[in-house]
Amino acid sequence: MRAGDSAGAHRARRRQRLQALVLVAPFCLAYLVLFIYPTLKMLQLSFTSAPLIGDGAFVGLANYRRLLIDHLFQESVFHTGYFVLLTVLPTTLLGLAIALMVTRLRGWLQSLVLACFFLPYILPVTVVTLIWQWLLDLQFGIAQHAIRLFDGDGVAVFKNPAWAMPMVAFVTIWWTNGFNVLLFIAGLRNISPDYYDAASLDGAGRLQRFRHITWPLIWPVTALVLTIQLILQLKIFDQVYLLTQGGPFNSTYVLVQVIYRQAFVLNHGGYGATIAVVLFAIIAVLSVLQYQVLRVRDTP
Amino acid sequence: MNAKRLRSLAAAAVLAAMTLTSPAMAKTKIVWWDFLSGGDGVRMKALIQQFNAENPDIEIDGTTLEWGTPFYTKVQTSAAVGQGPDVMTYHLSRLPLGVSTGTLRPFSDAEMAAAGLSQSDYFPSDWAAAHVGGKLYAVPLDIHSIILYYNKDLLQKAGLLGADGLPKGLDGISHFNDALKALSGAGAQYGVSFATADGATIWRIFYTMLNQQGGTFLSDDKIMPGDSLAKAATATAAMANWVAQGWAPKQAEYPASIALFTSGKAAMHINGVWEVPTMVDLAKSHKLGFAWGAVQIPVLFDHAATWADSHSFAIPDRRGNPVPADKVAAVMKVISWVEQHSLLWANAGHIPAFRPVTDSEAFRKLEPNATYATLAKTAVFDPSSKIAGVASPVYDAANNFVLPAVNGQMAAGDAVKQMRDELQADLQ
Amino acid sequence: MRRLPDLLLTLLAVIAAALWAFPLYWAVVTTLKPEYEVVQPGIALLPKTWTIGAYVYVLGHTNIARWYLNSFATALAVTVLVVGMSACCGYAISQLRFPGRGVLYGLILASFMVPLQALIVTHFVLMNDFGLINSWGGVVLPQLIVPVVVIVYKQFFDQIPREFREAALVDGAGEFRLFAQVFLPMNWGVTTALAIITFIGAWNAFLWPFLVASTDQAMTVTVGIVQVHDSFGVQYARNLAGAVLAALPVAVAYLVFQRRVTEAVMLSAGIKG
Repeated sequence: MRAGDSAGAHRARRRQRLQALVLVAPFCLAYLVLFIYPTLKMLQLSFTSAPLIGDGAFVGLANYRRLLIDHLFQESVFHTGYFVLLTVLPTTLLGLAIALMVTRLRGWLQSLVLACFFLPYILPVTVVTLIWQWLLDLQFGIAQHAIRLFDGDGVAVFKNPAWAMPMVAFVTIWWTNGFNVLLFIAGLRNISPDYYDAASLDGAGRLQRFRHITWPLIWPVTALVLTIQLILQLKIFDQVYLLTQGGPFNSTYVLVQVIYRQAFVLNHGGYGATIAVVLFAIIAVLSVLQYQVLRVRDTP
Repeated sequence: MNAKRLRSLAAAAVLAAMTLTSPAMAKTKIVWWDFLSGGDGVRMKALIQQFNAENPDIEIDGTTLEWGTPFYTKVQTSAAVGQGPDVMTYHLSRLPLGVSTGTLRPFSDAEMAAAGLSQSDYFPSDWAAAHVGGKLYAVPLDIHSIILYYNKDLLQKAGLLGADGLPKGLDGISHFNDALKALSGAGAQYGVSFATADGATIWRIFYTMLNQQGGTFLSDDKIMPGDSLAKAATATAAMANWVAQGWAPKQAEYPASIALFTSGKAAMHINGVWEVPTMVDLAKSHKLGFAWGAVQIPVLFDHAATWADSHSFAIPDRRGNPVPADKVAAVMKVISWVEQHSLLWANAGHIPAFRPVTDSEAFRKLEPNATYATLAKTAVFDPSSKIAGVASPVYDAANNFVLPAVNGQMAAGDAVKQMRDELQADLQ
Repeated sequence: MRRLPDLLLTLLAVIAAALWAFPLYWAVVTTLKPEYEVVQPGIALLPKTWTIGAYVYVLGHTNIARWYLNSFATALAVTVLVVGMSACCGYAISQLRFPGRGVLYGLILASFMVPLQALIVTHFVLMNDFGLINSWGGVVLPQLIVPVVVIVYKQFFDQIPREFREAALVDGAGEFRLFAQVFLPMNWGVTTALAIITFIGAWNAFLWPFLVASTDQAMTVTVGIVQVHDSFGVQYARNLAGAVLAALPVAVAYLVFQRRVTEAVMLSAGIKG
């Protein structure tokens, strides 16, 4: 009796394992082939002098030493940081401000206004850059009317080292800000109206209510948005490649673009992989940071 | 219902894929990539159309990609993975670089002979530039260079136009500067316009002026050896001076620099011969508003010299998937046909590389090409090196160092030193 | 007394929203003008002459139909595969006990750390080994790594009360039936949301399709509109008409499934809407 029972349980367990295997197999296979293997291969390549396609000799740490004298790589680290600086904090604050505006509204007006702010986010990056290249066109762009208020002649913004990176950041914020707005709206909806009612009874003004209720209660979402944006913007490539190609005078060259240049333009697969390892390391460290922040959020 | 919709969508997709890829009967299809836009593009497309019409057994399927780095990156990567076109346009200046990355496949003597092409059909300089390590990797199509476009009305006003309708008094840098000053006073906003925001343009003028002083950019693996560095600084400083004096526009984009000339705001314009059609077409439709001409770049320093490059045809070395013999034969037919018809290509301002066309009566009468065709005698090609040519480290360096110096963002001496150091490192 | 500031704030929101969306309007309206009108000085908010010439030109002179097919096929494949694989995997991790379950989940969580941009070199090498450069498969495969979808599914399946599972098991249903007939239907909303956002993401992908699809025939529409140049000079209306066509499917998807899209965006950030 008991033996049969345990044999049944054993069979059931074995069956469950088999079923689990069938269910996880496709994902695991994809994960192994398309993720684990390429990651290990990237590490291996970084110690070789391989071209993009084909084998190379083992060169030890030569590629890593080369990072120390590679101006473009060093500048690109700096430029990537500059871009992060120009986007992360502004887009977070702007997202919060817009979310505060939108949550006040009701009904169809709210939907419409939200759609206006969100629509750019779902567009392909090439569409976004084509639109802004047209708006900012030196001769015929409508945005030049605004720029002429500051600079009488108008500015070829993506050809001017002072303007290029800030304008790439501006376009990026316009494109992706809708995402932050949504997160903040969700966060704001989770704040109980009771708090505001109580504050109103105490005669607190708009600003006071924001400072003492909204800001502290929305902080976890703010931290979330900040970290998501930080990691996202470190990976910038598309907008820079499409708007400035890294110019003028390499003033907008960013990390992913150096990987692209080394591996695909100059055919240095090994060195390209080395820079990829650096990007990987930077983002891994920051992700651990993000994870900590998220943990803080999950345990109120 | 969802699944049904999905299935019908998939079916439609398969059907569409099938119709799109179904082979045309008995036609050899040639995949062709080029980087030719503007007037060049219009003329090459016309040539392709004419070829397709006249040759029912071959169909050229052309794609135009973005000039410069994007084009050459695509070509190089595609070849490395065994893909890409059957034939493509290629700059001779980039040939050593292209061969060093294994992107190009040499032409055999037999293939050339079958196409009816031989060494005697080409200028020696072009023929030499089409070889790397003793092998022919490209069939030259043209020689193209930079020229000086000028506004006859404005030059007349400033007393710089000779009775023959050609400019006078432009030789020697100090005379040239005086002329720019005089032109700026004679109703032109700028004495000369050129694309001061375009690294390729800057390189062409820089290299011209360096060579006019007898300077060397690269020899024996040394970048700007000896007094060449000082000559490079002189060349850079000359351009920077034009911009600083307000004689040339600052940070002018390529199209803007042309517009400044065509709208009469700049009295002269330095640009490639490939912009000749722009002027011809504008003049024909009476939109130019002035009489124009074009001459070889004046001798600003010691002797005549002008930067030059060649468009050519090349076949990629598609690794593991070489262009099959029947396609090569068709490609050779295409190349030979285009060479024979390159008088139409000369309409785009270029000097055909194919001697039977260049020596023909029709070409000798073709204006304005005939006026500036003399430049071919003193043309200097980019250094033959795997760091030189279109979309090469040398072009990048011109963009990163000489260009800022021209626009007053860097001292000329520092710029050329930094350029030398960076390129010297690339050579190691 | 509160009325006036409230009204002003509402007005501010409306003006800000209008300004924010203006570039989109301006792009669309430009495509409906003839080229000569596009470059006229001044600001014309509406075309004087309405024309769809730019669209006709783009449809007739580029390979956009082919790019559309490539985009639809690859985005659809990415969506079906990602959602399918992730739902199965999420179900197993949530509901079944098997050795390596904890390790697997840990690995999936950890993979957030690896930027796919860093893998472009090795993905390219791998796709070449598979012979998939310039093919749908090559575009699709590296886009299949979206660990967040597994995590979202796991979280949703975790929330389904044990009783459902036990009742179904007593009725003699197997794991696969349980998954297909109980767990999935109970989360159709999540699946729709994830499918839409995955589709939009795949449609919009630039860097990878740009690297792997270098021929006119293989490009997706997102890449094609900026990579292939026709040779008729700068034609603003035509360029933008290509952009509008490229954006159309995702814009329509958003406008039709607005609620689902916003829900999906929050899901992907780890917030349950």
